[in-house]
Amino acid sequence: MVNVLTTFSRITILSYIIIFTVIDLVQIFEYKLNETVASILATIQAVMIVLFLCNSSIVLYYAKEDPKILALMLFQLMFLAAFGIIINNITLPASKGVINNILLMLCFSFVFLERLNMARAIRQFIFVVVATFASILGVYILRKITKINQYMMLFALLGIISLLLVSVLGKVEYGAKLSITMGSISIQPSEFVKLSYLFFIAGCIVTWKDFRGFLIAGLGAALHVIVLVFSKDLGTASIFLATYVFLIFIAYKNYIVLTLELLLATLGGLFAYNYFPHIRTRFIAWSDPLSVIDDKGYQISQSLFAIGTGGWFGSGLTKGMPNKIPVVIKDFIFAAIAEEMGTIVAICVIVIYMCTAIMLFNVAFNCTYSFYMLVVSGFAIIFTVQTILNIGGVIKFIPSTGVTLPFISYGGSSLVSTMFGFMIAACSNDLWRVPERPRRRARY
Amino acid sequence: MYKRTTKNSVRKEIYITAAVFVFIFVGMIVYLISFMRNDSKEFIYNSYNSRFSVFADDVTRGGIYTADGIEIAKTEKNNDGKEVRVYPDDRLFSHAVGYVDKGMSGLEAQYSFELLKTHITLDEQINNSLTGSKSPGDSLYTTFDYNTQKAAYEGLKMFKGAAIAIEPDTGKIVSMVSMPDYNPNTIAEKWDEINDESNNNSVLLNRATNGAYPPGSTFKIITTLAYLRATGSDDFSYNCKGNYKVDDYTIHCSSNEVHGKEDLTKAFSNSCNSAYASIGVDLDREQFIETANNLLFNQTLPTLLKSTRKSTFKLDENTKDSIVAQTAIGQGETLVSPLHMCMIVSAIANNGNLMKPYMADKIVSANGEIVSQTEPESYGVILSENEVNLLNSYMEAVVTDGTAEKVNFGDLTVYGKTGTAEYTTNKKLTHSWFVGYAEDEYGKQLAVAVIMESAGYGSKYAAPLAADIFNAYFDK
Repeated sequence: MVNVLTTFSRITILSYIIIFTVIDLVQIFEYKLNETVASILATIQAVMIVLFLCNSSIVLYYAKEDPKILALMLFQLMFLAAFGIIINNITLPASKGVINNILLMLCFSFVFLERLNMARAIRQFIFVVVATFASILGVYILRKITKINQYMMLFALLGIISLLLVSVLGKVEYGAKLSITMGSISIQPSEFVKLSYLFFIAGCIVTWKDFRGFLIAGLGAALHVIVLVFSKDLGTASIFLATYVFLIFIAYKNYIVLTLELLLATLGGLFAYNYFPHIRTRFIAWSDPLSVIDDKGYQISQSLFAIGTGGWFGSGLTKGMPNKIPVVIKDFIFAAIAEEMGTIVAICVIVIYMCTAIMLFNVAFNCTYSFYMLVVSGFAIIFTVQTILNIGGVIKFIPSTGVTLPFISYGGSSLVSTMFGFMIAACSNDLWRVPERPRRRARY
Repeated sequence: MYKRTTKNSVRKEIYITAAVFVFIFVGMIVYLISFMRNDSKEFIYNSYNSRFSVFADDVTRGGIYTADGIEIAKTEKNNDGKEVRVYPDDRLFSHAVGYVDKGMSGLEAQYSFELLKTHITLDEQINNSLTGSKSPGDSLYTTFDYNTQKAAYEGLKMFKGAAIAIEPDTGKIVSMVSMPDYNPNTIAEKWDEINDESNNNSVLLNRATNGAYPPGSTFKIITTLAYLRATGSDDFSYNCKGNYKVDDYTIHCSSNEVHGKEDLTKAFSNSCNSAYASIGVDLDREQFIETANNLLFNQTLPTLLKSTRKSTFKLDENTKDSIVAQTAIGQGETLVSPLHMCMIVSAIANNGNLMKPYMADKIVSANGEIVSQTEPESYGVILSENEVNLLNSYMEAVVTDGTAEKVNFGDLTVYGKTGTAEYTTNKKLTHSWFVGYAEDEYGKQLAVAVIMESAGYGSKYAAPLAADIFNAYFDK
């Protein structure tokens, strides 16, 4: 009976995801779409999210015979409804498509964490609720601050000090210092620094608008990156670097500077390759994982076993062996999705991330105020680079860098910071406080 | 300072940035698709991949059949109700089919994934999972012909060596035997004995695809071709005095026989070492190397098989003339696999067009429906029409009027080359080679390569076995 349900659900789940993805490809043009059409499409997507969550939860319930899964499903449905209602009440969301995408990613996270590790799944659900409320609170606070760009030095200081703290106090996990542990909670400060870093760079550019902005933003960015490289957190270091390079490009529109910076980054990469042995081993593990399968290539090989054996249609939920992959609930959760739901769903997930990125860039493009235009662009870049580093690492497209998949991987810090970033994007036209003038609404 | 920037045209850099990322996303998707289509098998079949055990819970491993429908591997329940893999013909297909216990090899390893998949109808699957019984896995139909395999096996049984037969116009491997062999039914029990350090028989090595043998006189096919390509004609004349001196080294003809005045046909069919040594020394080295490389030396053989050995051919500007002379008659440092020699002959038989050899013909579901079928694939034309015609006439002369004239090939038209390869400094110990192809009156062909280690003259041992293989194949 369970087998029939699992086999059958492979097809139904695949169809929900395909429908969602196809609509997503239309929704990236939502600023050009007729409003009624866009809202009908968004509603269909919402239905697909609910069907996906319910169908997957039922499969998990029958396979694991754990009533907690059904209880969680009810709470999750309530959360989805509440999220939709709240976001429409606090603001006119700058993009409805983006909201649907976040919710689907969260549902993937719920389903796969329940499948892989029930205790972590419950924790993650609590994180999601907390992150949502924290982000709404954060947005309210941002609305109260006038002239936020003038605090840029404070943001830079906060960011660099937190990163230094990790570098000194942090414990080493998988060869890198990432987190500080206090009691039972461990925090990854670099996740929050991503946002303060954006406020810092955007502040510099908006305040000076000339060479000074470029120079001071560059100095600050370099300090951030150097501390991260020192902690051996190269994934985050490359995210920070890419963000700086492209933000400067968007702000100053200078192709020569862009080329020079990319060249410099490549030289830096070559330098790192030659002077850090742990980078070289990652390259070997990437170029031929089977040759070092007993050691450095074990994780990526297990990931590719999972993806390959799962095939185009997947083994079906609970029918694969994703727990064979080390750190599957964090960095390698994409491999678990590919194994049990199949490569077609995995490709859809990549497309959904791509559409989310485009929607974020749309929001940035249509931002009324240039400070938030830069913050949202920067957030879009961070989100995109992180996704590419994660998925690319899992499928052996690039060497693995040990960053998480936004919204799907297990981890509270990453969730809070990503959620806050999205909330800022969604409310970007409500945030800029201009003294003496009435607040402006977006042009809907 | 709070000037609003609403002009969209000045923000096009946002979309340039977005385009860069979209490009990378699309690249990742393309990469993932190509991984699934091309490279995933390498990972799926890896012995570190423990996921097979999960499939085996729901599916009974499918059987393996010869092309003529005889079951050569099946899964049965033993007395304890446990599933065991049974090979009805014991050793007959040992290297070709492989084994399952102790880490899998051969076709069992290469097609393990397919054998553990099921393509029976959905309601049968539902029915099976409701009643808790296993679904039957898909079957693998190989390209082997049972009787041809049997003939090769019986003939080779007393020796070490290998025999392989390929259908030239498709690349289907009709038989493949490697000796010494093992019994796949008892491999688990005998595992320690087989892998003991004192056991130097290498029974697990498939000599047909992975053996490394000096080609001996069979290499004269390649030297002949190099000569034809270098001079652009088949004009040749040589007066054989039974030996050829180069530097301070002397190459002798077999039994020191004096062949007298020869053209290329005579030199080839007599397998005249002196003539070929002189051809080799006079050849432009680069041209020689190029011809060998065109015939797939020093590269992975183009096959659909999982593991084959690269053949080696070493020569450069500094090689001494005496070594070149030896290389030209198939001694020196050249090493080939029987599969490679068979592929060369098969290309000659197929008018220069080399078909990639394969052994897995189709996957068939338990209901008899074809799930997937291997289509013959061409590697390309590696010999010109003129070269094929000339080589055919030389190889035919070997059988009608040369070293293999005493071998009884029945009514078949046979084109071949014998070889007697020295493999140590002791000239009495020689491997016996025959490579060639036969054609019946309807134009049907079969290419074979046979090597029998330390057996002696090619014409005495290897050629008669080739005749047996041809007869078994064309008799059916």
